[in-house]
Amino acid sequence: MNRWSASWPLAGLIALVTVAPIVVLFDLADAPTGLFEARNLGLVANTLLLTAITVAGSVLVGVPLAMLTAFVQLPWRRFWLVLLVAPLAMPSYIGAFTLYAAFGPGGEIENVLGFATPRVSGLAGASLVMVLYTYPFVLLTTRAALLGQDATLVNAARSLGTSFWICLWRVVLPRALTGIAAGALLGALYALSDFGTPAIMGLDTFTRVIYVEYNAFGLGQAALFSLQLLVIVGLVLYLESRVKVTPERPGRCLQVWPRRGRAPLWLLPALPVVLLAIVLPLAVFGTWLWREGAEGFELSYAWNSARASFLAAVVAVIAALPVAHAAMSGRAGRLFERVTYLGFGVPGIVMGTALVYLGLKLPFLYQTLALLVLAYVLRFLPLAVGTIRSTAEGLDAGVVNAARVLGAGRREVFRRVTLPLTMRGVTAGAALVFLEAMRELPATLLLAPTGFESLATYLWRVYEAGYFGRAAVPGLMLVLISGLGLALMLSGERRAEFGVFGDNRP
Amino acid sequence: MHRRTLLTSALKLGLGAGALGIMPGLAGRAFAQAGAASVEELPPLEGELTMYLGRGEGGLYENVLKAIEQRNPKLKLGIRRGPTAALANAIVAEAGAGVRRADVFWAVDSGAIGLVRDAGLAQVLPDDLQAGLQPEFRYPGWAPVTGRIRTLPFHTGRLAADDIPKDIMALPTAGLSLGWAPAYASFQSFVTAMRLLRGPEATRDWLRATAKVAKTYAGELGVVMAVERGEVDVGFANHYYTLRLKSGKPDAQVDLAFTNNDAGCLVNASGVLALGDDELPVNFIRYLLTREVQSYLAREAYEIPLVEGVEPPEGLPGLETLSPPDVDLTRLADLRPTLDLMRDAGVL
Repeated sequence: MNRWSASWPLAGLIALVTVAPIVVLFDLADAPTGLFEARNLGLVANTLLLTAITVAGSVLVGVPLAMLTAFVQLPWRRFWLVLLVAPLAMPSYIGAFTLYAAFGPGGEIENVLGFATPRVSGLAGASLVMVLYTYPFVLLTTRAALLGQDATLVNAARSLGTSFWICLWRVVLPRALTGIAAGALLGALYALSDFGTPAIMGLDTFTRVIYVEYNAFGLGQAALFSLQLLVIVGLVLYLESRVKVTPERPGRCLQVWPRRGRAPLWLLPALPVVLLAIVLPLAVFGTWLWREGAEGFELSYAWNSARASFLAAVVAVIAALPVAHAAMSGRAGRLFERVTYLGFGVPGIVMGTALVYLGLKLPFLYQTLALLVLAYVLRFLPLAVGTIRSTAEGLDAGVVNAARVLGAGRREVFRRVTLPLTMRGVTAGAALVFLEAMRELPATLLLAPTGFESLATYLWRVYEAGYFGRAAVPGLMLVLISGLGLALMLSGERRAEFGVFGDNRP
Repeated sequence: MHRRTLLTSALKLGLGAGALGIMPGLAGRAFAQAGAASVEELPPLEGELTMYLGRGEGGLYENVLKAIEQRNPKLKLGIRRGPTAALANAIVAEAGAGVRRADVFWAVDSGAIGLVRDAGLAQVLPDDLQAGLQPEFRYPGWAPVTGRIRTLPFHTGRLAADDIPKDIMALPTAGLSLGWAPAYASFQSFVTAMRLLRGPEATRDWLRATAKVAKTYAGELGVVMAVERGEVDVGFANHYYTLRLKSGKPDAQVDLAFTNNDAGCLVNASGVLALGDDELPVNFIRYLLTREVQSYLAREAYEIPLVEGVEPPEGLPGLETLSPPDVDLTRLADLRPTLDLMRDAGVL
């Protein structure tokens, strides 16, 4: 390992830019008086409650489904797994929007099916949506942990007379705890930073109130709330970094073969989850499309989304290359990489607030596409860095060594050997950034240039105006894009962070 | 400027115009007539113009802007949409940072207009621009576009108009479930009016009491829809949301109730102002005050036209039954204390 790498200055610069929004928030933060203290406590309580319920709910849903998909040998296993992981790829505001519109008196369910349902809103509603769209985190991490377990321990317990279910509880689960914790913390992070769901469900969490303050141009107050939220996010990130998954001695994984014809029974408990998280949004958008068509929708919204996201993907990949390179060449480089990960923890609404203020300080950036693209890059850079780095790390070191032996310099090796071989990772990283940026809502709401309407902001506009039917086309397009993202994530699973098919058995 | 005068004049003017018939929309022919100009008489618009457009009116303002763009192919109109209050505050913050992006600001609420004007950012409008408006509606720094009344939409299946208190202060304790949209600019102007009429203490108490029985919605169309499907008994909303809902669904179980001489039946106006000091923004504003645009907004959006020669929307009750409070329109701009009050009461 060399002491000094050519990529460090660049990586350091990029890391510096990543920290800029947080520095800006410190400069901006100020509260008029102590007037809001009582309300502040309510905010903290709401935010933490939502996060706690999300974590508990996603564990309750995700762990059994992880066991189902890991152990039970069902027909079409991959299909079920993909279906159960699918909500991960959907933006939760789509779910919140459609659940909000479907349930309750006068909702779409009553309109179409004729029976009244209770309204989904407030803390309960927001929690339901968050659980539906975060349990796949737990499912994936837990499943990976379960697949790494040697079944001989279970067999030993079984031969000593323990029942199957007790075995799961006392032998299997304790060994999967770190995996469960990793997924739960990701879910917590998601719940903390999500803007659309609490806003639609009318729950005053930090993200929603930051938006309200921004709209009343209480930027100082918004920045203060942002910093408070970042403290909580930082705590979760710290906890997450402490979770170390220790691999077990490899062995054959536990397998459960359902009796012939009984397979549907095993899948039955997963049905409500799939219905609510995937079928319902599609059904609601489909109903609206059938009823109102594409009224009010313009293709330019999709084009705007695609253009900004494409730029973000290109810039993110270019910025990610030196960071990924630095991360693989020494300690300082790894530090830079860690720093760029900060952006991932900064909720979109916070990033938006910081960059609006930055724009006012630097007017040539204010309300430009460049500033919006910068927001996307700062938020989603870690996705690109992660994919590129894991692809590069997976390269056979022998190839690099061979090139070196044959006289190529480090730089030449990188250019002619490592980079071409990393291209798959680069493409995958760019695509991930592109798809995430397409779906991004809060930062886009704050930073979009004048006249710029994207799929997500248009969806938000019709929601605020109450013309729900017009959400059909942008909604379905966003679902489609999410589906592409999922396909990409699954096809690139060996490199991606979430190993979906962690099983290496034939 | 007296609110009652505004309403009276607007309704009276509309009645007088009945014989002329409703204008055939924006593609309208030229009418040789005193009062509001026709688009046919206006100079063509050329060049780039950025408008900040207060959100909340659905697609109807968009249609007006599209029609203006179609008539003026050389106009490059950039529209920034957002909540009215947010845009007003953005304009002020931009000016503070030495940045100006907006040439024209069209707000759904005169309070937001006042916020910008009080910051000294509005250009003085030429006298002839407002010739079509009644003399009482002429302001140096801005032009009202359409009028609107605060109303209490109620569920007709459950209540009659007489069941609803005539005093807005008595509403939260009347045993009714309520629906409101506190983030909406017109609602905030209503709270400002209450603060001016009854003082901050009483307003804060009212907000707190109402918050206990009210459900919050994102916008006032949402409020009216919730009232219609019986989710709440009574809502707070501008008059046109109910009229629009009923026009699309004639058997809708919702009707309008009015309070008596208090903030509950405040009359307000949407308004427009020019930030750029050249001709284009001013000429653009002229288009919004034409008979064609005004009659379109009255007919399709159920807003109250403020120029001569245009009929008021159908479905508004007779003037003799209404008694709006006497609040100076320009004082509604004092939004900051209202927002603080609302935050303090925990409703924002």
